[in-house]
Order: sequence, then structure tokens, then C-alpha cells
Amino acid sequence: MTVSRRFLLSAAAIGAAGLLAMPQLGLASGVTVGQPAPAFTVKDTNGKTVSLADLKGKTVVLEWSNHDCPFVKKHYSGNNMQALQKKWTAQNVVWLTIVSSPEGEQGYVHPAQANKLTTDRGAAPSAVLLDPKSQIARAYGAQVTPHMYVIDKTGRLAYAGGIDDKPSTRIDDLAGAKNYVDAALSELAQGKQVSTATSRPYGCTVKYAPPTT
Amino acid sequence: MPMRRPGFLSRLYQAALAAVLVLGLMPAVQAQAPLSGNDLVQAELLAEPQSIRAGEAFWLGIRLRMAEHWHTYWRNPGDSGLATEIRWTLPPGFSAGPIVWPVPERIPVAHLVNYGYDGEILLLTQITPPAALPSGELALKADVNWLVCQKECIPGEAALDLALPTGTGGASPATAAAFDAARQKIAQASPWSARIETGSDGYVLHVAVPGLRADRIHSAAFLPHQEAMIEHAAPQAFKVEADRLTLTLKRGSFAAAGLPQQTGGLLVLTEDTGGTQQRQAFEFAEIAYGAPAATVSAAGWSTILQAALLAMLGGILLNLMPCVFPVLSIKILALVSHAGAGRAQMRRHGMAYMLGILLSFGALAGLLLGLRATGAQIGWGFQLQMPLVIAVLAYLLFAMGLSLSGVFHVGGSFAGIGEALTRRGGYQGSFFTGVLAAVVATPCTAPFMGAATGFALTQPAAIGMAIFLALGFGLALPFLVLTFVPQLADRLPRPGLWMDRVKQALAFPLYATVAWLIWVLSQQVGEKGLLAALLGLVLVGAAAWTFSLRGQMAGATAGLLLLVTGIALYGVARNPVRSAAPQQAQIAPSGIRTEAFTRARLDTLVAQQQPVFVNMTAAWCITCMVNERTALSSDRVQAAFRDRDIVYMKGDWTNQDPEITRVLEQHGRSGVPLYLLYAAGQTVVLPQILTPAIVLEHLDLLDRVGSHGRQPQTASLSNLSTTRSVQP
Repeated sequence: MTVSRRFLLSAAAIGAAGLLAMPQLGLASGVTVGQPAPAFTVKDTNGKTVSLADLKGKTVVLEWSNHDCPFVKKHYSGNNMQALQKKWTAQNVVWLTIVSSPEGEQGYVHPAQANKLTTDRGAAPSAVLLDPKSQIARAYGAQVTPHMYVIDKTGRLAYAGGIDDKPSTRIDDLAGAKNYVDAALSELAQGKQVSTATSRPYGCTVKYAPPTT
Repeated sequence: MPMRRPGFLSRLYQAALAAVLVLGLMPAVQAQAPLSGNDLVQAELLAEPQSIRAGEAFWLGIRLRMAEHWHTYWRNPGDSGLATEIRWTLPPGFSAGPIVWPVPERIPVAHLVNYGYDGEILLLTQITPPAALPSGELALKADVNWLVCQKECIPGEAALDLALPTGTGGASPATAAAFDAARQKIAQASPWSARIETGSDGYVLHVAVPGLRADRIHSAAFLPHQEAMIEHAAPQAFKVEADRLTLTLKRGSFAAAGLPQQTGGLLVLTEDTGGTQQRQAFEFAEIAYGAPAATVSAAGWSTILQAALLAMLGGILLNLMPCVFPVLSIKILALVSHAGAGRAQMRRHGMAYMLGILLSFGALAGLLLGLRATGAQIGWGFQLQMPLVIAVLAYLLFAMGLSLSGVFHVGGSFAGIGEALTRRGGYQGSFFTGVLAAVVATPCTAPFMGAATGFALTQPAAIGMAIFLALGFGLALPFLVLTFVPQLADRLPRPGLWMDRVKQALAFPLYATVAWLIWVLSQQVGEKGLLAALLGLVLVGAAAWTFSLRGQMAGATAGLLLLVTGIALYGVARNPVRSAAPQQAQIAPSGIRTEAFTRARLDTLVAQQQPVFVNMTAAWCITCMVNERTALSSDRVQAAFRDRDIVYMKGDWTNQDPEITRVLEQHGRSGVPLYLLYAAGQTVVLPQILTPAIVLEHLDLLDRVGSHGRQPQTASLSNLSTTRSVQP
């Protein structure tokens, strides 16, 4: 466990630099289904710039994550999240896992740790985005991990809420739960209106960074 | 005995957590002691009874002790988190009710809000056994799952079990205190009705809280049962007015449009009980949809117009009331005898008379509405609740009667109004006749105009005032019409001897009114006060007689007699032992001697070494109500009162009562509730929040004091001064 402090700092610096490109966002603004999803531009854990604006024409999933949160663990230990990621990225959906914990808070990872987590968990997101100043979380009003958002091909928000209808940390509850994200993506793929466009998100509170003034 | 047995799964979880740590997935900066949800929360299963009695429901409790700064969640965890779950495994035929939750705390996290508990809680569940039970021990099992969070969240679980023998039931002394304390922490079923309607940004919750005082409510919040219903972190604006509490709730971002299907929740109020603040919670299982009944908003114009019209008609009728009729009649007689006076002059007299009435009604109504606005619980006729006002009115009417009977003659005010009418500039006379008519009309308006004045008081001040003025206008109207339509006055019979006869006859309705007022007074003052009032009446008679003798000596004597009358009035005011409450002891259905509080009665009982429990309460005091429901009326407390032959004395401070105020001040309080226990020569002040256990504890304490150190001499007032405050 000898991750050098310098490496940590430089990783944080890279993340911060990427975020500087973002417009200053207000506190807890939140979003409305049917409205354009807030734009963001950020470097992913591999140093590649990801901009929501460039993803027009593609359906995008945002997954807020904190790998130590028991609710997140439930969906990874039960292979639920990975299966969803694989199923939909195979169908040209862009899946972005976002970590908004600041340094020192639960869930915080630097890019190398994030990539190791992805490998270890067998996860298959299109990219993992680090948001240690919680700016994207604030823009979307993300409350919990996992808080899920689906953005349609026109850049409008099509779904926001929980991953399914069984708020618990028990893996047993995965079977028989109605997965809202899967349902929304299926309906969008068939050119239909999303029938359940919002649900109550459940999970651990997003570990917000103190607001920057 | 309660047992704790961490489940296999939780062991597995701990192992998994340790493995995660070893694998080094946690960054160095986050190195911390490995914690599991089972280290952070101690779970225990408690039973209230010692044994299970067939068919008799009993309570089990899951006690959760959280590590410092960690919390578990309420049924609605708020913006994140998870409610604790209990799964029961019970013997055949047993059934378990839902968790009865303690009132949660609001836990802000960043810009979000959770509802939960830190410290220690007991989650109560009612268990109903079947009508027939096998003998021996019965195993009761609970699988408990929780999520415990500080910043991070960790799930935990415990498989708990407990064996109870079958038997006769009966509370276990080992757990009684824990269950008592837990009951104190749960919300009361709301005694109020509520409605919910859609508002601009969500919902508006209306709760009918008759008698609640706005100045005592420090804060109010609605905690919904359903997670998505409201934006938990949004401020909830509240106001208390016109017997209604209104809360504005912001719709949750994940709530469906329209009104929520599930509307239940807790109304949490903090009440200012004179220096300290008490938090009280009331539970609504479900809240009806729609706007509240009409009284909250100003009534429609047609309703107001109708009410004003009715009030005016009532005012006209008032002219025929025994207290008013003579006054008006005298005015009319004056008109008759001076029919020749100038038309314009007569109209001006009519106007002056009306002005007198309207100003008086306006002043009375203004005072009333003003006092109501400050929270005083008074209605129209409040002036008649003051013995002094009643006595003065009785004297005034008696003097008027004597004047009509011809005992004395006053040039100017009422009997001599005839002259005044003809004199130029005698309008003050007419004005004051109006004032007099309004004043003497009040004893009649109180009982007869109840409906109209009651409506007026539910309305905003301006509308209320308009209705009272309409009443006054009605009172003034008959005379006003006569002065404005001289043809009518001309129709009145010519003056003659009959006028004197009528005048003398009219004295009797006034005497009748006096008799009624004295009867009212007899209900408000003690015997001495009543005697003083009656002696004053005699003095008024004597003054009237001496006044009629004329001459300086007579005038001076009359003045002196009136002065003595004033002293008699003082006697009335000094003796307001308003004993509306029965003096004799009443045996309440529970078998406890219940009495209304008076200082004199309390002193008597204490002198007789009679143990007394004093409850100073008020209709608008929520904390008092909760204490009465949860502690004082509980079977155990009632039984303890019965066993010790304690007199339960209730002081009602709903309306200001100087005697009760003095007792409050004596114990350093400026408000209710105040609980006092007098026994064995001791006075003990109980805390403002009662549980059955607290009350019983204090009773036990006194038993001990009584058996060890009972003073040989009888208790006296000096013993009362050895007030001891026991605050657990």
C-alpha cells in the first residue's frame, strides 16, 4: 500500500484541472426530467476529455458511485451494475460512472485506484469520471449513491432516480426488483416515452465537497 | 433475559470487510479502524411482561444503542439512508404489529436531510398471542436489519431471541422503565383534524388547532411517512391564526404531480412553556384532501352581508329587551313631549344618539378583537366575566329604575333628557343616552346575540368590526327613524299623565334586569362579595333618596353614600372566589377524588395532611395535554393516586387566573404546565415532561420521606414554604 503522496497529489491536480473547464455551478440546483441535462466537461480516469455536449446523438447513463457505500456494494457484489453496463454499452449507450467524493471522504479514489476498482469488479462503464469538488453532483442534484440519470439522444433528461424499487442493502433483494434504469433504456431504445421517469433515489448520501465560493 | 446473538451473515460481512481492507482497496488517506454495523449498534430484545398471558396483547421492544455520532433511521429515512427492519419469527398463532417508532430527529447532511436517531432507542412492537397457549417457555425471535451512518453508512444485523414463560402476564420490573421511556418518545395520535391541498410549490397542510396560541408555538414541521412526498430540506413556513395552523410544504422532486396518495406523517411542534421549549409530536395516519372548512378564510361577501343584516335586525330587537327598552322609551317620551322642537334639531339629536351607540360598540368590539389578537381566549360578553363590571351595571340600572320610579330626578342625563332635547347644544345628552343604551344593552347582547357575535369573532378584524357596528346601528335605528321621519313622531299620542305612568311602569323591567345581574354576580363572587354587592345596592338607593332631598347637606350625603358604595364595589372585586367549579369533591370514574384548584381549598387539604397532586394546565397547552394523556391518565398513575388517597386538583389557566398565576410565580414559572405534589409536609415540583415512571418515582420518594421523617405537628403553611424541587 505504498501509493506515493506525490502521485496522489498529481492525480488530484489532474482531476481539478479538468474540472476548471466547467462553468461555476450553483448549489444543489437539481434537474428536471424533460429539460436539457446540465453540460459538463471533465477528464476521465484515463486522461481523456469527456464532454456531454459531444455525446449528442447517443443515450447517456450517469451512475453516481462510492465503492464503499453498502448500497453500491449491493449492486456490484450482486453483479447487477456490471451486467447493466455490459448490456447497454453493447447497444451503443454511453455509461459514465461518476465519483463525487472529495479527498478524505468515503468513496474518494484517484484515477489509478478507480481503474483498479473497475478491473477488480469486472465493471464495464464507458468511462469513470472523478468529481472531487462535487460540481457535477451539484449540477444534477445527485443525492445518493447510486443515483441514476438517463439522458436521451437529444440531450434531454429522460430518467432520474433510484436504480430500482427495492431500497435495501441486501443482495437478495436484487431478484424481483423492478430496475428503472433498464426499463427506461429499453423504452428509449424502442423509441417510446419513458413510463417511469422519476423515482425516489435510495442509497448513501453523496459525500459532498464543501461548496466553493 | 434479553440476548444478543450476531448473525452468521454479519460475521460474514465483517470478514468481507476485513478482506477488503487487506486487499488494499481503501486508500491510505482513509485508513481507519475496521468497523461493522454490529460494532456500531448494540441490539437487544426486551419484553415488557414477565410472562405471556393467552389472548392478551403485549409489547416487545428492540433496543438499539448507537455508537456516538452514529445514527439509524426512521420509517422514512429522508433523502438517503434506510429504515430499520424487524422480521419476527413467533410461535404459531402469534401476530406482530408494525413498528411503533420514536419521534425522529432531523439530521442535516450537506444540503440534504435525514430522519433518524442517535443515542439509544427502543422500537416497540405489539405482539398478540392466540387465545390458547401451551404451557412452558415460548421462543420469540427477531431478525433486525439496520443501516447505521455517520458520514459513511454501514449495514448491520442481529438475530435476537427471547424466551418467555406462559403465565398471567404482568409487567416486568426490569424493563418497565425502558418501556415507559419509549412510550414517552412516540408521537401521540393527533387530537386535531387536518387537511392537505395543493399549493403553489407543493402542498399546504391545514391543521385545526382550536385554542392553540400562536405565541407559544416556536416551530412546526411536518415529517411525512412517505419518502418522496416533500423536499425534506426545504423550509416549511408555518403560521397559527384563527384556530388553524398552516404549513407550506415543498413538493419532493420525485413526487408525482397532484396530491400524494399516502399523506400520513408527524406534526412536530416546539412549544414555549414559559422559558423552556418542549418538543411534541402528533401522528396523522392519513390526512384528508381538500381545503379546510370555510372559517379559515374570510367568508364570502353574501355571507358577510347576511350576517351584518341579521346583526342589524338583532340590534332592532335589542330595543325591546328589558335592559334597553326603558332607555329608548324615555327618549321617545321626550320626543312626544317636545314634538314642537325644530326638525333639524331633532335629526341632530338622532344622529348624536346613534354616534354614541356606534362609538361604544366600536370601542367594545375593538377592545375585544384586540385582546383576541394577542391570544386572549375571550368571547363577546367577556366584560360580563368581570364581577366589577356586573356590579357597576347593576347599580347603574338600579339608579335608572329609581329615577323612573320618581325617587329622584336628574336634570340632564337620562330622566331629564326631555329638557336637554329642547335646549340648543344639548346633543351631549343624546350622545350619552346612546352610550348608555349601548352599555345597558351589553348584558342582553351577550346571551341573545351569541350566533352573530360568534361569527364576527371568526372573521378578520375589519369584518368582525363591521358586524358589531351593524348590531349597534340596529339598536340606534328605531329612534333614528323617529327623528328623521317627523310624521311618525306626530302619530305618537299627545303628552299627558299617561306618560308618568308609563315611566313608572318602565322602572320594573330595569329592576328585573338588576335582579338578573345580581344572580349572575352570585355565580362569580364568594358569599362576602355578594353581600358587599347587595349592600352597595342599598347604598345606591339611599344615595338616590338623599339626592332627591336637595340642599347642600343632602348632596354631600349622597356623595358620601356613593363613596361607600364604591367601597362595597371594592369588596366585590376583592372577593372573586369564582367558584364555578364545584366545591365538593367529585369522584371521577377512575375512583380518584378530583377537585378544581383554589388556593383556599388546597391550603385546607394540606392542613388536613391530605396528599394532593396539583395539575396547573390550560386548554391551549399542548405539553399539558400530552402529559395528561400519557402519564396522568395512565392506569398505573391512576392506581397509585387511588392507593395513596391522593386528591387530584386541576387548575385551569386557560383564562388568566391570578391565583394560579401566583402559584406559578411562586415556583419560578411563568407558564403551564406545573405539577406539584403535596404530601408528608413536603412540596415537590415535578418536571414539565411527565412519564408514568416519573410520577410514580416522585410518589415513592414521598412515601419514603413520609415514613422516615414525618413531622409530629400538623402541616401548616410554614411547611408549604419548605418547597423542594426534585428534578431527575
